[in-house]
Amino acid sequence: MMRERGWQDWVLIALVAAFQLLPILAVALNAFATDWAGTVLPEGLTLDHLRTITSDPRFIQSIYNSLLVSVGSLILTPLIVVPAVLIAHCYFPVLDRWMAVLVILPFAVPGIVLALGLLRIYSGNYGIVLTGTPWVLIFGYMPVAAPLYYVPIKNNLRSLRLTELFEAGRLLGATDFSIFTRVVVPCIKQGLIIGLVMNFTLAISDFVYANLLVGGHFPTLQIFMGVLNGGSGRKLSVLITTYFLVIFASTAIVVWAASRRNDQ
Amino acid sequence: MIPAGNRTKILAFLCVTPFLLVVFMFEVAPLLAVTTNSLFASDVISASNYTEILSSRFYLGAFKVSYLISAATALVGLVVALPICVLLKRMPGRVQQLISICANIGANFTGFPLAFAFVILLGISGSFTLLFARMGILQGFNIYGTTGLVIVYSYFQILFAILLLLPGLGALTTEIREAAFLMGASTWSFWRRIGLPILAPSLISAYLLLFANAMGTYATAWALVGGSANVVTIRIGELTAGDVFSDPNLADALAMLLVISLIIPILADQFLLKPRQHHDA
Repeated sequence: MMRERGWQDWVLIALVAAFQLLPILAVALNAFATDWAGTVLPEGLTLDHLRTITSDPRFIQSIYNSLLVSVGSLILTPLIVVPAVLIAHCYFPVLDRWMAVLVILPFAVPGIVLALGLLRIYSGNYGIVLTGTPWVLIFGYMPVAAPLYYVPIKNNLRSLRLTELFEAGRLLGATDFSIFTRVVVPCIKQGLIIGLVMNFTLAISDFVYANLLVGGHFPTLQIFMGVLNGGSGRKLSVLITTYFLVIFASTAIVVWAASRRNDQ
Repeated sequence: MIPAGNRTKILAFLCVTPFLLVVFMFEVAPLLAVTTNSLFASDVISASNYTEILSSRFYLGAFKVSYLISAATALVGLVVALPICVLLKRMPGRVQQLISICANIGANFTGFPLAFAFVILLGISGSFTLLFARMGILQGFNIYGTTGLVIVYSYFQILFAILLLLPGLGALTTEIREAAFLMGASTWSFWRRIGLPILAPSLISAYLLLFANAMGTYATAWALVGGSANVVTIRIGELTAGDVFSDPNLADALAMLLVISLIIPILADQFLLKPRQHHDA
């Protein structure tokens, strides 16, 4: 029989939820606080900080830059990674085994090390200059984002009986390409959604690559946060709150769009 | 493997080339560059960068602090996430997916936003610092140090642990639990004799990835403590971008030592300890 341990479970969930949510709530509250120094809770609420920061051109610029990189990454990464995962799984078992090694690498190799390597190669030492441009970020995130697609998509692929599926499809006169686009891709929908969501969050939350590789040439949200960190905490709070709203809204849009497109 | 004609295979391989090219240019080549640069000191091939680090109290100290923070926060992550995941597994798939998506956002909530959020709560004049001071507990608490890093890292480690553990918990089916409880096992003896041994491989993998995640954390440490945090990533950043301490080759050697210390246990776990199911994360 399963033990009922109701209240202990809820205490644990409440404690963890408090630890995870309080920092976010504190930032949001700080963004609208009139005065919050030396007191447990703010004195009052105001929209002044929101007004001052939205009139700062760097604010709009950093949101624009971050979205440009994230959306660019969200378009190019699945376009390059997903076909490779599918094809390696279906046609090239040797490549598939190598991919398992390649995709575990970013977990074992910290971002700052890869960023360091990118800095060595793409700042002109070998005739290519990508640093200071969004491209170094979009492509730099790609190997790091690859496992985020690989792992969930592989889980989906393993539950498919692909050999039979291809035999049946070919018998009916379908090309392999149309079997992929019409049958296989809809079947890996769930893994694809997880990959897209994680890819977006990775790209928009990054500081390490952006700081080392583009810095002030292409200030993203995180870079701008670093600039504001020295000054007024209220502006930074507004920025962080905005950043959170952007992530939540974009995640919701990605999940909604991906599940909708495949339902048709 | 799907049998296919040569033409299909060639076309298929062409579709994989962009990926291989990207992996080479943006993953393999940068690592090679760091490796070779680490073996140069003043334009001469030498191991002096490595000997300098391994004989420096300062750099070895940074490794020690990084190890301690990472070991502690990886453990916190696992210990908190495991019971949460067990509870989540009893909930509908939709709830699990929603929690996973939120955990993913939170696990990436690092760097300046996270550090600043904790400063509001636990900084010198943070709400909780004041509250605790009034209650007469935690006097003289300082978030801008190793304790602070452990607390703040725990924030994303718990969420990352949930993401890592949730898929693996499928191994612990309701049937196994019910069978154990029917035979009179207590909750404690069930976990000690059945639950934890079954989950051990997933727990070990998750622990190693959590450990590596903390070891590699740069943005959060930089945002919270700045250059005075003696952790490895801060030292690497300082040697790369710092005006005073700049020594790119030494930075590369430090980076290589960091990678070597992480990659050996992770690869051993992924490919030697469980060769059959190595990519079931």
